[in-house]
Amino acid sequence: MSLDWLGPGRVPVTLNVNGREVEVTIEPRRTLLSVLREELGLTGTKEGCDEGNCGACTVLVDGRTVYACLVLAVDCSGRCVRTVEGLRRAENLHPVQEAFVDQDAFQCGFCTSGQIVSAVSLLEQNPKPHRGDIERAMAGNLCRCGAYPNIVAAVLEAARLEEAPDAKD
Amino acid sequence: MTETVGRPWVRADARAKVTGQAKFPGDFGMADMVHAKILFADRPHARVVSIDTSEAAQVEGVVAIFTAQDVPVNEYGLQTADQPVLCGPGSGKPGADVVRFVGDQVALVVADTRAAAEQARGLMEITYEDLPVVSDPFEALKPGAPQIHPGREASELHPELSTEGNFICHHQIRKGDMEAGWAQADVVVEGQYHTPGQEHAYLQPEAGLAYIDDEGRVAVVVAGQWAWEDQRQIAHALDIPVEEIRVIYPAIGGAFGGREDMSVQIVLALAAYRLQRPVKITWTREESIRGHCKRHPMWFRCKWGATREGELVAAEVQVVADGGAYCYTTNKVLGNTTITCTGPYAFPNAKVDVDGVYTNNPPSGAMRGFGAPQGIFAAEMQMNKLAEALGMDPVALRMRNLLQDEMPTTTGTPLAGGVHLQEVTERCALAAGWERAEEGWRKPAAKGVALAGRPKEAMRTGMGMAVGFKNVGFSFGYQENCWLRIELRGEDDIERAIVTIGTADVGQGAHTVLQQMAAEALQVSMERVSLEASDTGTSPGSSGSASASRTTFMAGNAIREAAALALDGWREGERPAVVEHTYLAPETTPLDPDTGEGFPNFAYGYVAQVVEVVVDVETGELRVRRVVCADDVGKAINPEQVEGQIEGGVVQAMGWVTCENFIAQAGRVLTPHLSTYLIPTIADVPERMETIIVEKPDPRGPWGARGMGEMPFLPLAPALLAAVHDATGVWIDEFPLTPERVLRSLRDGGSLLECDWE
Repeated sequence: MSLDWLGPGRVPVTLNVNGREVEVTIEPRRTLLSVLREELGLTGTKEGCDEGNCGACTVLVDGRTVYACLVLAVDCSGRCVRTVEGLRRAENLHPVQEAFVDQDAFQCGFCTSGQIVSAVSLLEQNPKPHRGDIERAMAGNLCRCGAYPNIVAAVLEAARLEEAPDAKD
Repeated sequence: MTETVGRPWVRADARAKVTGQAKFPGDFGMADMVHAKILFADRPHARVVSIDTSEAAQVEGVVAIFTAQDVPVNEYGLQTADQPVLCGPGSGKPGADVVRFVGDQVALVVADTRAAAEQARGLMEITYEDLPVVSDPFEALKPGAPQIHPGREASELHPELSTEGNFICHHQIRKGDMEAGWAQADVVVEGQYHTPGQEHAYLQPEAGLAYIDDEGRVAVVVAGQWAWEDQRQIAHALDIPVEEIRVIYPAIGGAFGGREDMSVQIVLALAAYRLQRPVKITWTREESIRGHCKRHPMWFRCKWGATREGELVAAEVQVVADGGAYCYTTNKVLGNTTITCTGPYAFPNAKVDVDGVYTNNPPSGAMRGFGAPQGIFAAEMQMNKLAEALGMDPVALRMRNLLQDEMPTTTGTPLAGGVHLQEVTERCALAAGWERAEEGWRKPAAKGVALAGRPKEAMRTGMGMAVGFKNVGFSFGYQENCWLRIELRGEDDIERAIVTIGTADVGQGAHTVLQQMAAEALQVSMERVSLEASDTGTSPGSSGSASASRTTFMAGNAIREAAALALDGWREGERPAVVEHTYLAPETTPLDPDTGEGFPNFAYGYVAQVVEVVVDVETGELRVRRVVCADDVGKAINPEQVEGQIEGGVVQAMGWVTCENFIAQAGRVLTPHLSTYLIPTIADVPERMETIIVEKPDPRGPWGARGMGEMPFLPLAPALLAAVHDATGVWIDEFPLTPERVLRSLRDGGSLLECDWE
């Protein structure tokens, strides 16, 4: 018995991931999440539920946050995908990453990639968010360790860092 | 020289975790790897009559299918081996052909791809003979109830385990003279309570990779809490020497007790051992929620008496806990419930009966607090109701009755390590706004609140308080221990200190704290300490479980003792100076089976909380406005991480009380997704959270530290329910506080709990 029931065969897809063009040959049913993790080895994006409930797989597609488990990889053909691995600025951490370290904004760290990507997106759209803005923007990223107070603090600190890079207290 | 203890060091794994480089079990892969899927029973009670793999085996890419007959010793379990590795006929183990809950594992399908394994799993033909299901522990205790584990043998190691009917275990306390106690009581408060189960919902679902390592051992990369114990149980089931199994914990995506019992470990090891190639598995969220244990649902019947002046004179408590299909740690969990269900108070007379019961529900096991949150809930509800009945301030009533140094508990012995219940209560109450006037304690008046779009008269505010305590370590006669090895390298100075230890960092930050304590004990800088942890291949001794709030206490003492020995060797010229050492915690005793007398624990943590809520009495919605938590941690080795534990514990407890609603009906899980089992989001946390770290040293704790990871969970539920009562005048004796339940309780003037107490 073969796996033909799974649908049409593999197709070539070109993705732009973290600024690099990559070509993969995949079944059209594959999610962006499974392609990032299994084809490209980008395991920083986590699989927490694979059904759009936890936010651990949050990535940016053309600058907007998406749950990578709810997006087909073929639909990302020709679009720009950014994952946690693509946030660093040269050798330095992204200010959001720096603020997460500084504010101890995680415990187990499994949700952290998704949290950070959501925060980056928020700050790109709203450089001076209030607590309410942060709660609205990040309510789709669950953290079972309950590091939420520190996540709020980290996003606020990142906003300050972005505004004045030397303002870190 | 250095002062590394007591400072907020950044987590050792922080950089790896913010860059996505930290590897969790599901992130590993190997060339030549095959993928496994587990066929779950998906029915709560049935006999597996036959298994037909022929069609599944035809699927392209299928490598192997393992069933019960392939498991050499088809049993496992942390306390008692009552669970089959794979349920089905042919393993020779009596009763292993029966599935007892929906998450029982029936077969392991291994294939080249995940998709092929999944497809083949769907083609497995299992013939079941369904058996009668019992999903209510009260029904399970009735004569004629279906028997979940007939023919059990008594355990010498765990005499509290029962062989009778569906009883898992029984604990009891008989202290003083109940008749005399009731005769002194001017006020008696009776109450019935129910605490629900809780799903751990760690964000990282169960996953693992097993392979044959360079030395020919079966290596299992997995997330767990007690590597040495995983190793022991895997070796037992595979019937091979322990040394041939190696358990490695990489980054662990949360545990909260749910990884203390095993999930994928044995089947993964079995497949890798038989196939001699790497095997990988990742559970879906649904498999995770169906497949691992939950917090014990419990029912309480309480009767407490006090004199008119507020002196507690007698307590009678009966507890029934749903243990689910297998024992897991039920006997230990209920030991904690036994000692906490009368609260942290000095009762001269007490009668306590606690029963764990087998049902066809998912097994109940360890979860943060380990039986204490349930016990403390019942106790503190009683205490707050007593305060109301006596017309006393709840702080004043507590200050009068809280245990202090040298006062005997219900087990007849004082709490070990210094008792600081009054300190945490006082500091919490004062911070929350209580006044200590000459005539006594006075609770502040709750402030009104306005919410846009809601009528002011519908918004009621209230404030409630509760106190908790819990033991550090499993104990109850179990000799707690922690193995480690220290190697000091260098010439004139110690250039590198290598600490090898089995302890798991489940996300709480244990490895950072261990490194801090090692640096302090050896008087070297943090950079010179390297930790090799969580690999039985390098740690042959048991460092114990990362649970029971025990890690800092146990590993810290082990580090202190071993560091002193290593420094002795160093001073005598040993290069490198190497010490292998096992720290043994102070001895404890089990509770006497008749009276409950004993010295069950060597250390405790203490906590008090005040919660402010606003209840919308028209919609039943509630909002936690403020939580004040005073936690005696002895010594905060890393204050920032301690604060994180307090905030995280509060958020998790809030979830348990407000939005989390684990539903199993006739043994079937109705909430197996994070869309139906709702955990708190960033928008659900209290508007204000104030943590007060109290540092009253435990003379036997490392640098004075006591365990703290579970304590912040303990008093939240009763404090929140007291705040709801303060706001609405209604006592709700069960939760979660869904809007429906709140409205119903307001309409009925309280909970209408009906249980079939015998």
